[in-house]
Order: sequence, then C-alpha cells, then structure tokens
Amino acid sequence: MITLDPSILNRVMKPARYTGNEWNSIKKDHTKVAVTVALALPDVYEVGMSNLGLKILYQILNNRTDTAAERVYSPWVDMEAEMRANHIPLYTLESLKPVVEFDVLGISLQYEMSYSNVLNMLDLAGIPLLTSNREENHPIIVGGGPCTFNAEPAADFFDCFILGEGEEVIEDVVDVVAVWKQSGKIDGRLGVLKKLAQVEGVYVPSLYNVTYHADGTVEKVVPNCKEASPILRKRVVKDLNAVEFATKPVLPYLDIVHDRIMLELFRGCTRGCRFCQAGVLYRPVRERTPETLLKIAKELVDSTGYSEISLTSLSSADYSCLPVVVQSLIDELKEQGVSISLPSLRIDSFSIELAQKLQQVRKSGLTFAPEAGTQRLRDVINKGVTEKNLEDAVSAAFKAGWSTVKLYFMMGLPTETDEDVLGIAKLAYRVLELYKEITGRRGAKVTISVACFVPKPHTPFQWFGQDMAAEFERKQRLLKEKLRDRNISFNWHDARTSFLEGAFARGDRRLGQVLLTAWQNGAKFDGWSEHFKYNTWIEAFETAGIDPHFYATRERSQEEVMPWDHLSSGASKEFLQREYKQAINEALTSDCRREECSACGVCPELDVKVIDWGKQA
Amino acid sequence: MGKLRLEITKGEEIRYISHLDYASAIERAVIRSKMPAAYSEGFNPHMKLSFASALAVGVTSQAEYMDIEFKEDMDLKQAIQRLAAVLPPGIKINSGKYVPANAPALMALVNLATYDVVVPVGKVEDTTAFEESIRRFNQTEEVLYIRETPKGRKEIEVKQYMDQDIKLIPQEEGIKLVIDSKITPTGSIKPGEILDILVTMFNLAVDKDKALINRTGLYVVTNGKRLKPIDL
Repeated sequence: MITLDPSILNRVMKPARYTGNEWNSIKKDHTKVAVTVALALPDVYEVGMSNLGLKILYQILNNRTDTAAERVYSPWVDMEAEMRANHIPLYTLESLKPVVEFDVLGISLQYEMSYSNVLNMLDLAGIPLLTSNREENHPIIVGGGPCTFNAEPAADFFDCFILGEGEEVIEDVVDVVAVWKQSGKIDGRLGVLKKLAQVEGVYVPSLYNVTYHADGTVEKVVPNCKEASPILRKRVVKDLNAVEFATKPVLPYLDIVHDRIMLELFRGCTRGCRFCQAGVLYRPVRERTPETLLKIAKELVDSTGYSEISLTSLSSADYSCLPVVVQSLIDELKEQGVSISLPSLRIDSFSIELAQKLQQVRKSGLTFAPEAGTQRLRDVINKGVTEKNLEDAVSAAFKAGWSTVKLYFMMGLPTETDEDVLGIAKLAYRVLELYKEITGRRGAKVTISVACFVPKPHTPFQWFGQDMAAEFERKQRLLKEKLRDRNISFNWHDARTSFLEGAFARGDRRLGQVLLTAWQNGAKFDGWSEHFKYNTWIEAFETAGIDPHFYATRERSQEEVMPWDHLSSGASKEFLQREYKQAINEALTSDCRREECSACGVCPELDVKVIDWGKQA
Repeated sequence: MGKLRLEITKGEEIRYISHLDYASAIERAVIRSKMPAAYSEGFNPHMKLSFASALAVGVTSQAEYMDIEFKEDMDLKQAIQRLAAVLPPGIKINSGKYVPANAPALMALVNLATYDVVVPVGKVEDTTAFEESIRRFNQTEEVLYIRETPKGRKEIEVKQYMDQDIKLIPQEEGIKLVIDSKITPTGSIKPGEILDILVTMFNLAVDKDKALINRTGLYVVTNGKRLKPIDL
C-alpha cells in the first residue's frame, strides 16, 4: 500500500483526486479474490470518473466474489511530478496498491489524443511499455472503448483489445485469467494471450503480422498462430434489459465533468450520419424498456443522492417511449427534488416541447447540431435536417422563452465549398433574425461552434482525405470575418490537434514508434490545449521517417486494405462504400430503426436485432 | 418545528476535500436517507442546510456543526440514525438536537475556532528554537500578512484574530501547536496561514506542507465562556 505524504497532497491542486474513499467505492481483500482488475481512463479524475462504461464494468466485476475491481486515472501534471520525485508508483484509489501488482489493467480508449497518457500511465506504474518486454507477473493490459476499432497505432503497448460492448466479454476475460492463474500460469504470458484470443471480441494484436506494399499501404494483416481468427467481430449485448447497469456508481466528492445520474435509454443510433463513427460502432439500436429505466433511475437516486438525471444516449430524443418515461420519472422522483435533463436536442419542435416540460432551468442554453451550413452538405452527410426544421425548432425555443442558442457544426466535410462554410454564418444570422421576428426585439445570443472534421475508421468517410490544417485555418478566417456581430460568438477547434487526431485515427502499427518518441519527448494530455505540443509530435514523425499526411490528408482508394479491415463492427465494407457513393450523389438514406433497412449487415452478421419499443407496440 | 442541529466530523478519509464538496456530500447523504428535507422556494430550489464555518482543504475536524430543516417532524433519534447510515466514510455524527426554527444561524453564532497543528520534525531533542519562535509571535503586537487569493492580494493584521497565545506542545517526533483563533464578522485567520507566518516571519524551522491540521472545536464565546453550538 502506498502512503501519501501530506506535504505532497498539500502542494497539489485538488488533492481529493488522489485519495479515494468515495461513497459506493468498493474495497476488497486482495488475498480473498482470484483476479484483481485496475480500471483506468487515461485522463484526469474528473474526466475518468464521468465515463459510463467504466462505471458499468466496475459494478459487474465487483459483483463477482472472485474479483476485485479498482479505479485509476492519470495524475495531473503537478501530481505526476510529485510522484516521480518521490518514487510513488501509479496506484489505485481503493486499496492504494501499485497498479503493477494487479492481474489486469483495463484502459478505456475514448479518443486518440489520450494515447500518450496511456504510455505515461504505464511508465508511472513501472510496467514495461512494450508488450514484448512484459513478463509473467506484469498485469495484462487490456484496451476497451471506441478507439479499439483501430487502435493499431497503440498495438505495441497493449496485450489485447476488446471490440464492442464490455458487459459480457469482461467476465469472459476474467474467467480466462482466473483459470490461467489457477493453472500456475501455464504457458506463461503467451499462454494466456492465446486463450484470450479465442474469446469472441478479444483482439490480441501481437498474434497478427502486418505487411506493407512498397507505396506504404497495408498489404495484409494475418494471424501468426491458429488461436487468432482472421476477422474479429465486435461483442454486442442483445438485450440491454438483461444486463447489469451502473446502479451503484462511485460518487465523487469533487465536481466531475458529468456530475449527475446518467440514465442510458438505449444504445446505438441508426440515423446514419455518414461522418459518425459511434453510429456504426454501436449498431443496432437497442432500447431499454420504460419499466427497466424507471427501476434503474430509482435505484440510482437511492444509491447516490444525485438530484439530476441526464437521459443519455447517442440521440436521446429518438427514444420511442420518451414522453412516458419522462412523465413517470417526474411523477416518481419529484418528491426527492430530482430534475431531469436531456444532453442534446433533436432539431424539431417536439424536442422543444420536451425541454419545456423538463423545465430545464437555465433558460440560457439550448444546443442543436445542424453539423453543416447548407442543405446540400447536410444531404451529403445524411443529416436529415432541413432549414425549416431548424427554423421551427429555434422559433419554438424563442417562443418558449429561450434566448440563447448554441449551434454545432463541422468544417472540412467531403465536397465542402466556401459556400457551405459561409452557409454557417447565414444560419447564425437567420437565427438572430428569427428572434427579432418572434419577440420584436434584439438580444438573442448565438454561439457557433465549429469542429474540424476528422474522418474516422468504419464510417462511409473512411476513404476521404482530411483537409490540411492550413485549409481549416483559411476556412476559419473566412467564417470569422463574416461572424462579426456582437450577438454571435464563434468557437473553433485547433486545426493542428485535429490533424494529429486524423493521423492516429486512421493510422497503422508503424505509428507506435511515433507515439513512443513523442511521449519520451514530453507529449501528454494532448487533448488539453495547454499541454498540447504540436512540434514534439511533428519531430517524432520526422524521427521515425513517417509522414502524418499519408494517414490524415491522403484520399484512399476503395481497393486499399485499411489497417482495421480485420476488425469488424458488423457493418460491411459494401455498405460503407454504398454510403460513400450516396454521399457524393447528395442522396439520403433512411433510418432503419423505423423505416427501411439499409442493409448495413450488422443484424445478420452478429445475430442481433433492432429493439425499438415504439415500433413493436 | 425546529431545525436539526448536528455535531459532525470530517475525518482523515476525507481530509483533502473542500468545504463545498463536504457540504454536497452531506446533501447527497440526506437525499439517500429519504428524509423529508425542506427546500428553498424559487426557480432553483436548494436544500435548507447550513454550516457553521468553512473548513479548508487538508484540514480535518472533530466538531463541525450543521443545521437542517425538514418539511415534517422527524424524531431526533431516528433522524440521526437514518442519516448516519448513509454518510460517507469520515463523516460521523457526534450528537444532535433540535433548535427553534428562528434560532440564529450557526454562521452568525460561532466566533471561535480551535486547532491542533501537528508538524513532524523528527526526533525532538531541544525545543528551545521552536519555543522562541512561538514566544516572539505571541509577544508581537501587530503582525501584517499578505493574503493572496485568486481575487487578489490583501494585507491583514493577524493578531486581532488571536484569542489566546499559541501553545507549543512537544510530541514524540514533532511539535504540536494549539491555536485558538477568532471568527469575526470582518474576517478570521486560517491555521495554515498562521503556520505560514510562523515559518516565514518567525523562523519556525518546519516544513509547513507536512503539517496535519485538525479543528478541535468551534465555539460560541459569550462573556468569556466557551459553549459548543450544540450546547446552547
């Protein structure tokens, strides 16, 4: 057990990040369990503690009497300096035991820019960075989360990745490790990795060889042993009502990013926005029943004392029984002072009525995501929203008393022209105008937030060459000049961060060298602008003799083998190609949830089906 | 119906949480207890919960005080039991009683805080130098200290807040300072600040970051008599 000197904790910011003892945290005697698992998220406590997936896994693992699961996050830079100076290894918040003593270290990979923090955590833990250098007694490093659908750039550092939803597969992994330990660790590390490779949804990258063509593109990725299967399919939970939810989450003392109950209405979204990776990875749509949701919500209020419930999902307003669920939550929990909120709104008046019903207190902010500035481009990305939808939604909001609207867009989408970019400004002014028409006065505030589009693996835009950073910056300037109204505020993303995200999102294993060098030269917390060191990354690319543009900005041919082609979300490549063509033709594809099936292949491939209670009723 | 007044602790387990975090931890425990807490009126209602005095990050306490109001009568013993069952580690209820609904707020009553500040200094052979620092502080009429906060710098006179001379008690491997400081309508001084002053201005040779500070009591002093808010 680590002892933390008060002088360290008195010097660092927010020391409660490092001292645990939160309500609902679970401390078990490690000598009485078969397997110990450290669950990590490579970012600071407030971010890590907000991740719903890890909350669920924590509960599932700790429900097992043979398993102890504990939490660990990246120490902030001040604490890291103290830990290094005082030779304190990375430790978990429950037992304060060094992470290196655990059997399994599970790391949630939510975004590519957290990879440098993974290396930093392994190093702080005293675990060899490269899988090839690890020995029998080192923890098995397991990656999970959306990035695992192409975490090839981080493949050298992970013993295995879990593809898809973790509720069931995490238990399979623990079972394998328990048996392996009981057997006296038969056949060593390779022995357990080969066993894990046979678990559906578990990908052991070291059991595959990657070869490349002379032009640098991937030739093939093939298993190097019989235990590894040529194609890896994601895991998917068939019935969300039947699996455990995080009903007793650890309650932080500190204010965290999502400091409220997260009630997951359903998983998946089949609206089919062509830029959206989550929309593919989490297919098909599977709803929880209203009864399950109400039961879970009550348990959560009782176990946490939170007084706010956020109805989360990829597109919560699409939940088939939303009015029923909202009404019963209000009826049942009003007495306990609990309020309900929606994280994002669909662009229609139904959503506004709903927001009104929820009496979303701060009338100061409604957020919509039109994503693109013109109808043409919205059709390209299959965002089934018209200008009229947006006008109706915004008008309804203004009539209901809101005066501040936040609009989210992307720039650099396929086929984008300057006209599309300027369309964003037009929409912003249209919103101001609507406010004046409706209320008869000025004073609406519009916030325009524009991200740089990063093409992601497993999406119809995976072949598309990302805009150059300079092009993003030119478009940002173009828009900035047009948005010079004091009632409009304009935010944009750093183009260079998006460029590196682009390179890593669609990178291959050769980027492992770049990652290692950049980390050695001080890269960490790359998602935090104050710590992002662009030059360190570019130098690391140069040292490795690798051009980041090859991965980020190059248009790829449809025939090219992608570094992630052996990793299957269930959606077929033909579907993605069809959608790419549809995009170029500015043609829409319907939502299979309530309309025609678009034959993405997920349901037959993974033997699952869409569960939509509205459709089935 | 009155307010429930509780004497509670902030233990070692939660030494490093802030006062706001401490307050919200209790508020969430009240919700978990399902007791009928009263809320303020208005658009953004909040639980009618109030504390005597904020406690800094890194400081424990063996006696904090809070008042809570309920919508309906709650049996004293039952209320204490129900809340105690859902309090996080480090928060314990020492005692409780009902005070009249119109009783003055704790914040307005409490005017003295006492602290033990324990600083490890290794094996103590000779405490003369430490004693000398404390003696000089105690005898100085006026001590000016620059308080730096995110809001800016402010010069304050420290001695006006000292209720008693600081006492030094040698420990096995360190020293303990007993500090009694006044809480006044115009301000107060924190024990961490006093330690900072002793180190930087009175040559107290200790590593102040290593200090473990514990609030030993909060009092209402009237006519020189110290009373706990729970004994009023």
